[in-house]
Amino acid sequence: MKILVTVKRVTDYEAKLQIDSSGTGVKLDGVNMIANPFDEIAVEEALRLVEKHGGEVCVLSIGSGEATTQLRAAMAMGADRGILIKAADKLDGVSISKIITQIAQEEKPDILLMGKQSIDDDSQQIAQMVAERLGFGQATQANKVVIEGEWAMVVREADGGLETLSVKLPCVITSDLRLNEPRYASLPGIMKAKKKPLDERELASLGLDLKASLSILKLELPPKKQAGEILPDVATLVSKLREVEKVI
Amino acid sequence: MTHEHDLLRKTLKNFVAKEIEPGARLRDKQEFFDLKLFRKLADLGLLGITAPGTYGGSDMDTLSAVIAHEELSYSDPGLTLAYLAHAMLCVNNLAVNGNEAQKKYYLPKLCTGESIGCMAMSEPGVGTDVLGMQTTAARHGDHYLINGRKMWITNGVLDDSGKPADVVYLYAKTGSKISTFIVTPECSGYSVGQKIKDKTGMRASNTAELVFDNCRVPIENRVGEEGDSVKHMMRNLELERLTLAAMGLGIGKRSLDIMVGYATERKAFGKPLLEFGQIQQHLADSYAEYQAAKAYVYQTATKPSSRLDSDGVKLICARMAKKTADSAMQVLGGNGYVAEYVAERLWRDAKLLEIGGGTLEAHQKNIAGDLEKCGGKF
Repeated sequence: MKILVTVKRVTDYEAKLQIDSSGTGVKLDGVNMIANPFDEIAVEEALRLVEKHGGEVCVLSIGSGEATTQLRAAMAMGADRGILIKAADKLDGVSISKIITQIAQEEKPDILLMGKQSIDDDSQQIAQMVAERLGFGQATQANKVVIEGEWAMVVREADGGLETLSVKLPCVITSDLRLNEPRYASLPGIMKAKKKPLDERELASLGLDLKASLSILKLELPPKKQAGEILPDVATLVSKLREVEKVI
Repeated sequence: MTHEHDLLRKTLKNFVAKEIEPGARLRDKQEFFDLKLFRKLADLGLLGITAPGTYGGSDMDTLSAVIAHEELSYSDPGLTLAYLAHAMLCVNNLAVNGNEAQKKYYLPKLCTGESIGCMAMSEPGVGTDVLGMQTTAARHGDHYLINGRKMWITNGVLDDSGKPADVVYLYAKTGSKISTFIVTPECSGYSVGQKIKDKTGMRASNTAELVFDNCRVPIENRVGEEGDSVKHMMRNLELERLTLAAMGLGIGKRSLDIMVGYATERKAFGKPLLEFGQIQQHLADSYAEYQAAKAYVYQTATKPSSRLDSDGVKLICARMAKKTADSAMQVLGGNGYVAEYVAERLWRDAKLLEIGGGTLEAHQKNIAGDLEKCGGKF
């Protein structure tokens, strides 16, 4: 079984982000970068499936050369090899989905495993677009994956309950938070990772026609929360809600 | 610093926060060495961090060992001391000095944590003046008979019932010279004299007195040649001091995090503590002294091992750790004096660094001696 897993380099969820001078991006200087946590869950699931059924796990990232850090970390967990598509500029979802589609067509994985979304843009659309382009079945937000012959049985978290799907391989599966708890990269794993193959390719070498179909016009921080106020009695509260907050 | 070191630190930070931090206070309170948790360190590959992969080790370098001690000590210096005794004093020592058969037999089990190891050098009457040790080993045909007592042996006992360590890396006199032996519970005449209780700090590690009464050790358990141990004993002590210094860095960093967090949130006279000059002095001095110590440790860890600087880093880090923990307690006031806020545990643990693995006075003596030897050229 061959599993291709996408790993995105994102800003740390604990980082305090600031908007850059253009007003359309985030300042990245000095900000800690991590692997998208949903992608780490996807890597863990791929490793478990391969440990059970045999095969190979390949990790794929698209972005700056620095994303090798996240690919090496995935290889330290146990992934066999990595592919980095080096792209200088920020790409929109449509372009990313075209790149992943092309790599999947070359690699021909049985399963393309992805995080259900990345924690920076939260757009949750790449897996769906890639499945469509590849003509693969898809099962998103998995919290359980079992392989039965040519089929993957996937329990997914839907609103208000669980849905069990059977999807034919090859397919696209995305991981939800409760799918598993990713392992720690072991020390021997870290040492082995540096010798594993990492194929770095320039985006231009893929020969894709990528035109931006979306541009960010403006980013805004959420409004600052005002300090609370302790009121003497209910009458004052009611009058504040009515006259200052105008909510009743 | 390579990418591997970076990844090691990230992995450890995550592991320490999830696995080590939650029970640290209880282990201290109950004076409890948690063998189950210790074996989780093995699962990660920490127990054989510097040992060759062929014997189950992780093939990592000295700088990696420094990072490991630093990160583990951030949450639990006591457990880290047990780790140091096992991984540096026993495993590393054996990996460097043992012969092929010894490494093949002992290292795999030490790396998985199936065996717990210690090193026995100090004695009831001999600490800093190690060459004056009284324990003797006398050759009788195919074995040695060892007689004497060893004191302050971290990991020398594994639990309250007095279960002895699985592997003792023992130094003893053969005539006027020092030799090394591997002693195991199968050797008759080896027992635990006492588990040393009511320690001030480092309470998550066990400390014992070991007794060797006509202890019969087969000749194949001798490490190296008879009488050739002083050099490799000193070399291992250098690694011990460097990693003890690294533990000081972990204590220093934690103390800083505690006091900066508290001084930012806690208010007095209507403003955060951080805005008071006296508190600023604690924060600023602690920060600068921590960074200076860290720079010295990392510089030393990436150079060939030397006695001068291994004594130097421990001298600096032990005092920095205790002072920084003391500042954290002072900034926290009454809260600094109770266990919930961690600072007082770090303060108690830090004190050991001024005594164990060489007292401050021993380091000063060595440094002055080495400076004289090199004619002031360093």
